[in-house]
Amino acid sequence: MFVLAEKIMKQVERFIPMRHTDIRELFKFEKTPLNILVAFTTFVFLILFVIGATNYFIYGHHAYGVTREHPWGLMIAMYIFFVVSSTGLCIMSAIGHVFEVKVLEPFAKRAIHGALVTLLSGFVVIFLEIGHPFRMMIYNTISPGLTSAIWGMGVLYSLYLIFIVIEFFFLLRHDHKWAKRFGIFGLVVGVAAHSNLGAVFGFLVARPVANGIYYPLYFILSAMVTGCYLIFLMYGFKYKLEFPTEMQKTLVATAKILGLLLAILLFFEIWRMLTAIYGGMEDRAVTALHILKSAPFLVGEILLGIVIPFLVILLSNGKAIKTMVFASLGGMVGIFFMRYDLVHDTQLYPMQTLKLTEYQLPPSFIEYTPSMNEIFIALGAVGIAITLYYIGDKILYLETDPD
Amino acid sequence: MKVEISRRKFLQGSVALSIIGGTSFSATKLLSEDEHDIGDMRIMTRTTNIKAEKVPFLCGMCVNKCAGFARVEKGVVVKLDPNPYFPKSRNMLCPRGNAGIQTLYDPDRLKYPMVRVGERGDGKFKRVTWDEAYHAILHGTDKFKGILQILDEEKDNRSTIGYCNGEGLSKEGFEELMGQKIGTPNYVDEISICLESVLGAYSATIGAYGEADMSNADFVIIAGANRAEAIITPDTMDMFKRSQGRGLKTIVLDPRFTNTAAKADRWYAVNPGTDLAFVLALTYVVFDENLYNKEFAKKYVVGYEDYKNHVLKNGYTPEWAEKITNIPAKEIYKTAREFMASEHPIYYQGRRSVFSKNDFQLRRAMGIFQGLSGNLDKKGGIVYGKKLTLPKEDMNAPMYGQAQDRFDKDGIAIFAGKTGSWIVFRNMVLEGKNPYPLRAMFMRKHNPLSGVPNTKKTKEFLKKMDLNVMIDILPSDTTMFCDVVLPEASYLERTSPVASYGGLEPAIVQRKASIKPLYECKTPEVIYKELAEQLTKPLWENTLKYDEDVQDDTKGMKTQELAKYYKENGFDLTEPWEKSVEEENKERIVKAFGEEAWKILDEKGVYYPNMKKYHKQLNPNEYQYYPEDKKNYTVKGDKIKVVANFKNLAKKGVDPMPTWKKEYEFSVPEGQFRLVTGRHAQFTQSGTTNNMALRDLIPTNYIWINKRVAEKRGINFGDKVEVKSSIGKIHIKAYPTEKIGPNQIFMLHGFGGSSQDMEMAYGNGGNDATIIEDKIEPVYGAAVMHETNVEVRKV
Amino acid sequence: MARYGMALDYKNCINCKACEVACKEENGVQLGADKHRIWVGVKDVEGLWPNISIASSTFEPSQCQQCENAPCQEVCPTQATHYAKGGIVMVDADKCILCSYCMEACPYDARYVKEDTMTVDKCTFCSDTRLLRGETTTACQATCPTKVRTFGDLDDPNSEISQLLSHRQHFTLKTHLGTKPKLFYMI
Ligand SMILES: Nc1nc2c(c(=O)[nH]1)N[C@H]1C(S)=C(S)[C@@H](COP(=O)(O)OP(=O)(O)OC[C@H]3O[C@@H](n4cnc5c(=O)[nH]c(N)nc54)[C@H](O)[C@@H]3O)O[C@H]1N2
Ligand SMILES: Nc1nc2c(c(=O)[nH]1)N[C@H]1C(S)=C(S)[C@@H](COP(=O)(O)OP(=O)(O)OC[C@H]3O[C@@H](n4cnc5c(=O)[nH]c(N)nc54)[C@H](O)[C@@H]3O)O[C@H]1N2
Ligand code: SF4
Ligand code: SF4
Ligand code: SF4
Ligand code: SF4
Ligand code: SF4
Ligand SMILES: [Mo]
Repeated sequence: MFVLAEKIMKQVERFIPMRHTDIRELFKFEKTPLNILVAFTTFVFLILFVIGATNYFIYGHHAYGVTREHPWGLMIAMYIFFVVSSTGLCIMSAIGHVFEVKVLEPFAKRAIHGALVTLLSGFVVIFLEIGHPFRMMIYNTISPGLTSAIWGMGVLYSLYLIFIVIEFFFLLRHDHKWAKRFGIFGLVVGVAAHSNLGAVFGFLVARPVANGIYYPLYFILSAMVTGCYLIFLMYGFKYKLEFPTEMQKTLVATAKILGLLLAILLFFEIWRMLTAIYGGMEDRAVTALHILKSAPFLVGEILLGIVIPFLVILLSNGKAIKTMVFASLGGMVGIFFMRYDLVHDTQLYPMQTLKLTEYQLPPSFIEYTPSMNEIFIALGAVGIAITLYYIGDKILYLETDPD
Repeated sequence: MKVEISRRKFLQGSVALSIIGGTSFSATKLLSEDEHDIGDMRIMTRTTNIKAEKVPFLCGMCVNKCAGFARVEKGVVVKLDPNPYFPKSRNMLCPRGNAGIQTLYDPDRLKYPMVRVGERGDGKFKRVTWDEAYHAILHGTDKFKGILQILDEEKDNRSTIGYCNGEGLSKEGFEELMGQKIGTPNYVDEISICLESVLGAYSATIGAYGEADMSNADFVIIAGANRAEAIITPDTMDMFKRSQGRGLKTIVLDPRFTNTAAKADRWYAVNPGTDLAFVLALTYVVFDENLYNKEFAKKYVVGYEDYKNHVLKNGYTPEWAEKITNIPAKEIYKTAREFMASEHPIYYQGRRSVFSKNDFQLRRAMGIFQGLSGNLDKKGGIVYGKKLTLPKEDMNAPMYGQAQDRFDKDGIAIFAGKTGSWIVFRNMVLEGKNPYPLRAMFMRKHNPLSGVPNTKKTKEFLKKMDLNVMIDILPSDTTMFCDVVLPEASYLERTSPVASYGGLEPAIVQRKASIKPLYECKTPEVIYKELAEQLTKPLWENTLKYDEDVQDDTKGMKTQELAKYYKENGFDLTEPWEKSVEEENKERIVKAFGEEAWKILDEKGVYYPNMKKYHKQLNPNEYQYYPEDKKNYTVKGDKIKVVANFKNLAKKGVDPMPTWKKEYEFSVPEGQFRLVTGRHAQFTQSGTTNNMALRDLIPTNYIWINKRVAEKRGINFGDKVEVKSSIGKIHIKAYPTEKIGPNQIFMLHGFGGSSQDMEMAYGNGGNDATIIEDKIEPVYGAAVMHETNVEVRKV
Repeated sequence: MARYGMALDYKNCINCKACEVACKEENGVQLGADKHRIWVGVKDVEGLWPNISIASSTFEPSQCQQCENAPCQEVCPTQATHYAKGGIVMVDADKCILCSYCMEACPYDARYVKEDTMTVDKCTFCSDTRLLRGETTTACQATCPTKVRTFGDLDDPNSEISQLLSHRQHFTLKTHLGTKPKLFYMI
């Protein structure tokens, strides 16, 4: 196994510069308490993933907490979480190496690497959500539902994957001209795929809080925020909070952009709620009020996802980059809830508002609790993302080389 | 007995082909809980395009007997469709009728004869052959005595054997075998726990129970009947097409807000047991304001002057009734005036009747009130209808010198024919008040542990017997207390004796077997026949041994003469079953209506004269059965008689005219509740609680408890509560609702099965019979169902 | 070309659920509270005992609306959900990838997951069972005690349904969503 893998890597090395081709190297890392903790957690996550996935293969959707009334659950949320992260990283990377904002260029490669890793993790998750994934590949191609946002999403994300792989390839080869060209493709398709993801929800006329036009923009915005958080996390971990001066500049600049994005995002959230509550649609208003009172929204989405990082940036003028690493950790938790809420809240208001048997309570907001299997797979996907990132970090040169 | 075939295996077996087996394992949802999940039992039939037989059947899921066609594909019943030829059921099947397939293929069905090897009630049985089962009935085993030994010990007193049977087309045959041939008078059935008082009172008052012509009535008071949920055809079909501002004004009286109330113009939350006061007050208004049909009353209402005086003199005013009934006086005035002002008003007779002690008088008052409107024996009124007569079969019933009269007449004013009183009958035996012992019970299609109030007493009663025999299709609660269990073919597996349904549009119907009996089940008539064959000689020997009359008659007879005597005097028990049901049906129909009629009946399941000419499809949903001018709206002419003052009753200690008594008042001790029970459209008593398709719709029974009262007691939806009466207690889930009053609770009857062999029914919900006190109504001795007060406590 | 629809005399409905059982038996719909093609909706009654508002308690029999502008069809990525003969919205089980998007999109909660194929299913107007055999009523229509439903061709002016709809007032559910339902509730 190892030998074979190493042979392949040797071949790859002919096209891409690599740090190690020795697989054994992969298992060697500095045994700091933090590293050990991360390694251990990742390992546990991967095991959970295997359990969750196995149960899914045995029991199908019964392994999940999804129901007729709430057909989409944590898997979809996780998928969105990952693909939005991917787009965010792709955009942030492009700002540096495509639009040549010099101060942001240093993380271009690492960000694209992150984009790839998160995208693949997202695909793993969606593979375990779609009931018949192989059938999907066949019929998406030979019987395309052109009006379907999911179909569009499938096509665009596939293209996006191809483009960023190529972009990454050229970046690794220091071929800036081609990297830039594919960077633009990747960016355009990524943004398109992304706004399409917005449309997946936006088109749900039946669902009172799924508000069409708002979604695509909101998605891009929150994607960039996610990208920034991940950049803080990646570098915070890499440098163990002791940033070189060059990096400090980059991160301060990132923080400032992030501050601006967060301000706009907060503004968006406020207006989303206001229009929902006072928009004159009863079902939408009650749903919005319900959301407004929920902890995932208030604590997760708003406090962790937006307000705390925003305050850190605001109060330090963007300079508290160490604190920002921690704020970004919280930020990602917040972003997770943002995705979870997106999926869950869309389905909150029941499509069937009448009782169907005498002996039941009248339908109220639809409840959903992820099953253990879903949680296992979700955590497992995080484990996969960390593993892939670690491997890339180990064998590839992810720092943008000063020209 | 153990359930040896799991549901899953069952599916893989004989009927698997066209029944869809789901691959639905319930997943380990550790965080979420799915209450409705019924595990791996999600199976239903599906029809396909292949050539199928369409066999006419009569539904046996309840007493109503709607007609249908069974779609049989490759020997499997895959769908039950309504039959558009039967005027009574007019092309409909209710949910239970549709779910009949699930009863037919119920994996818990009784599959072969069984003999008890454990103690009564513990459910330990041994599978035996039919011959062994008959042998056990005759000779017993080491666990119980056989009928021969019992009759030997009792010196051929046939009355020491009791029997009971639930409603159905083969009920008569069982009566013939047990009552006439084997010769015991000690019979009870569902009538004394169902409709005895309404049948009796209406017959006494207007000469028949009658049929309410709901298609043409324009005003109906429906009190204590719930036609939206307790389905009776054609009433259920006809009422609700015209309710709510569409021609039939509907007034509902029910302590709780039923689905019938939901379809009504007005609903009055009457206090349980006080309807009589309401009817008397209506009558008061009608007499006081001279609203009644004077011409009609003079001509046909016997003793109406006496009744008028009686009602007015006693001051049965609406104001008086308001306090008793919880119905505002002005509403009573309004209702009485509207009723009499209507062209075709009906005070609906109801069916299950004995809610309180005064029921006989209530039904009398209702019948008289109907009479006062003059809306009898005519279109839109209560009609008498006609019946197509079928040739009678001769029956040669033997006389047994040692047999005695039935004993349950004690404390009953009027003894109603052969159906007896379940409660009096049982309690006398328990209390040892029967003049001679009762030693065996032969039971069929009846589940007294669920249907007769005070389950504990019924169990004790059954334990007292030397021999209990049950013919059922499922291992019911009562079956568990039996010694020999005989598995019957369900209604879709048997051809039943033809039946004639009278009324406005009379017809003759035949249920044909859709498939052959499953497993080792046998049709009831075959069981009667075989039982008769097995019993006839040994019992005859016993008669010869003890019956002095027979001994006198046969003294000195030679074998051949004796055989002749035995045959001629009906001691040959097998005689009624010489022909198969199929042959008999054909013979009777051909004799009465000719070959052509038989052909129609055999193919369509329904026959009536001129059917070909009369029967027409009117639109995709409706049919004409008889042309308007051929319907039997008026049959009595001048022979109508409404008896308001029934003087003969006085001789039996019964009020000759409906009279309110202080003791009838509704009162519940502080903090307690009056228990009311009843039906739901999606199940039939205890008979369908094991039916998967129906269980799916109505998973269990709950108690309805007033929402505000529940709130005060901290009882929420789904909370488990204990309901306790003087005789027992049950645990059941709570359903707080404003649809019931503060001092009443309601629960669906028939749940709370105790037979472990009924997987779906076992332990599901509460059995009301375990807490309903065994009180009787004094006229017929019928069981009073709603006079029990209970305590409710959250557990 | 026929255009099938259904008219409901919904005030007749007594909430007996014969239609639901008939549908299940006819079409092999599995058991389980969430597996139904057809249902009757009931609002909790308003008012306090004994003053319950009768008007607040109506029964609303319903099923897939066979929308002419069906959101479920629009969102299906593989055209598994499609308009079949007679304008009946059908799911092709071979093409369904169980993405559940249509379940998200249907405003009427008309869809569910069929367990044996693990694909989405819904009311077919009995077109693959009864209609295929040449019958002209649906299972839910035929069995109904109070004859709530009339199924038929909306394009045929002489059909019973067209006749009914031409002289009876009616409404459709969630009309504002623009789904153009073909289940008509007659007043
Ligand atoms: N779906 C279904 N249909 C059935 C049956 C079944 O089991 N299921 N069984 C069949 C049989 S055997 C019968 S006998 C009939 C029974 O048919 P019904 O008699 O119509 O039905 P129940 O539900 O037993 O009782 C009727 C109503 O009386 C109310 N009630 C109780 N006490 C009083 C009172 O004092 N006054 C008034 N005004 N109302 C009162 C109860 O709340 C209940 O709603 O149904 C037949 N049809
Ligand atoms: N508390 C309370 N008690 C009541 C009532 C109530 O409303 N409340 N209702 C009363 C009324 S109206 C009635 S009619 C009685 C009914 O009381 P029962 O006549 O005892 O009716 P079920 O409870 O349905 O039990 C019927 C039995 O027959 C069996 N069975 C079904 N089909 C067949 C068949 O084809 N062949 C044979 N051999 N057996 C079969 C079933 O398995 C079941 O064991 O209950 C009465 N008791
Ligand atoms: S009312 Fe229902 S259960 Fe009773 S006979 Fe008719 S179809 Fe069967
Ligand atoms: S069968 Fe008819 S009456 Fe019964 S629930 Fe269905 S629509 Fe309503
Ligand atoms: S009701 Fe729902 S499932 Fe039916 S056609 Fe409309 S959107 Fe599709
Ligand atoms: S679940 Fe099936 S039918 Fe529904 S949208 Fe997806 S592929 Fe189409
Ligand atoms: S039309 Fe057929 S498939 Fe649709 S709900 Fe009625 S019975 Fe079921
Ligand atoms: Mo009954």
